[in-house]
Amino acid sequence: MSRWDADPVSDHPINRPAPPPGTALLSGNRGALAGGVASALALTVAILLGSRNLDNFDVALLGYALGTIFLGFGIAYRSVLWVQSPAARRYLIRGWRALLRPGPNLPKSEIPRTVFSVLLLQRFIAERSKPRWLAHQGLFWGVISATLITFPLTFGFIHFRAVAGTESLYWIYVNGIRTVKIDALGIVGWLMFHGLNFSAVLVIAGAAWFLHRRWSERGNNLTQFGRDLMPLIALVAISVTGLALTVSSALMGGFGYQPLAFVHMCTVVLTLVWIPFGKFFHTVQRPAMIGVHLHKQATLASEGAINCRSCGAEMEGAVFVGDLQKTMSELGLDYSGWIETCPACKRIARGARYRDQVKAGF
Amino acid sequence: MRKKALFIDPGRCIGCQACVAACRECDSHKGRSMIHLDYVDPGNSAAAMPTVCMHCSDPVAPCAQVCPVDAIPVGNDGVVGTASPELCIGCGNCVHACPFGVPKLDVPEMLQYKCDLCYDRSSQGLLPMCASVCPTDALFYGTFDELQAKRPSAKAVDVFDFGNQSVVTGNALVAPAGAEDVIPGGYSVWNEFLETPA
Repeated sequence: MSRWDADPVSDHPINRPAPPPGTALLSGNRGALAGGVASALALTVAILLGSRNLDNFDVALLGYALGTIFLGFGIAYRSVLWVQSPAARRYLIRGWRALLRPGPNLPKSEIPRTVFSVLLLQRFIAERSKPRWLAHQGLFWGVISATLITFPLTFGFIHFRAVAGTESLYWIYVNGIRTVKIDALGIVGWLMFHGLNFSAVLVIAGAAWFLHRRWSERGNNLTQFGRDLMPLIALVAISVTGLALTVSSALMGGFGYQPLAFVHMCTVVLTLVWIPFGKFFHTVQRPAMIGVHLHKQATLASEGAINCRSCGAEMEGAVFVGDLQKTMSELGLDYSGWIETCPACKRIARGARYRDQVKAGF
Repeated sequence: MRKKALFIDPGRCIGCQACVAACRECDSHKGRSMIHLDYVDPGNSAAAMPTVCMHCSDPVAPCAQVCPVDAIPVGNDGVVGTASPELCIGCGNCVHACPFGVPKLDVPEMLQYKCDLCYDRSSQGLLPMCASVCPTDALFYGTFDELQAKRPSAKAVDVFDFGNQSVVTGNALVAPAGAEDVIPGGYSVWNEFLETPA
């Protein structure tokens, strides 16, 4: 049996080795567990305070509230594991420092411009494909609007009380404080009470496009059900069952409302519980890394770039290269000097060595 | 278990760029070519160096290790994938940490892309696109036994020297029978350049 019959990477457990001693913020899963519990407790306290000791808490939404508390646990748990990686930790610190203390080398307008362009408008997706961008914007704004509507209601931060002596007027209470009065049958009231329906339409349109692509595009045999399809199916399930509740109450006299409400709650809670452990976690990672590009831009302006040690072409910023070298050292990658050579020169150097030393004169 | 690998023989490469064009046509590459074809000494020599991802196994995928958002997947079969589009933030860490100079970066798209062994094909038993069109078998995909059946004296080397660090890879370079077991990664080139008195 030759060496080539063996599996070259037998069973490496994950694609990231454990950080060397002393480099982790917290050691192992115990730290992640502690972070998760702290986050869940903080959310519970916020619900208690926001709902005035559960006075304004809607018991019908208990399932959603519990799902959200678990979501808080899961996101903190996964985040603590995530930042144990030297690269993630270093970039998070650098990025947030650039955001909070931009310094003289970063124009003031650059921070809002980056947040708007990357996080809200997501222009980088438009660069990949315009239809993809449109579909993602549907998903994004649908989910964001639904989150902004449902979370405060679920936690009891916002509730409505009928105005005495009227049929369609309601006071809106925020944290137990009476704010404004709305007419449920007026335009504003109608838009407000149907907000989740608009969210559902946006989400269904976006998810449908992505599902269509997953089914129809070439090379789709790499699609994985759990990783790629389930998130889309979950979003569609939430949206369709949510819309069905409106159809039931508005057009069918409430027929099947209770079972539908239960199914809808199940789809939402299962998705909430799953968010930290699947593809949806990118909704945490990408905003968390928003400052990285600002950091690179600011340090390039202040410290300058390094030049390839072979061809002299300008490469990345000196700070970026220095950071990467530190990261590589922490990971035990002992060739960090090599990154001061540009990728093309690395390839040509290897070819030259092969020609000179391995297969002379090829 | 992945018994098949790409065996790259730069000595056979005629620099025709067929691999570059074919890579672009892979269903999952969406019109991007992920292979590099460099001319080692243009103007003086026809020598060309095709570079695909070597799928590093020890240390496992440095590109994935330095990724701050876990965007680069490594399969249990050792294949190191291209960056996941929903995760990649386009920081460029992987581009510079790769000892072979493989990953490419599209800055406006904030997306890295690199050779993934045409995983939509190779996972189904098909040849990667580059190997399917290479007219001289400079890029040969198969088992080592299949390679030896064609080239009995060929030796496959999958250990590369980068100064203090040796890197073991999933793909291999083909070398003459008497060649060393470790192939220079090129790292010493600029070291020697720096040590040469002006």
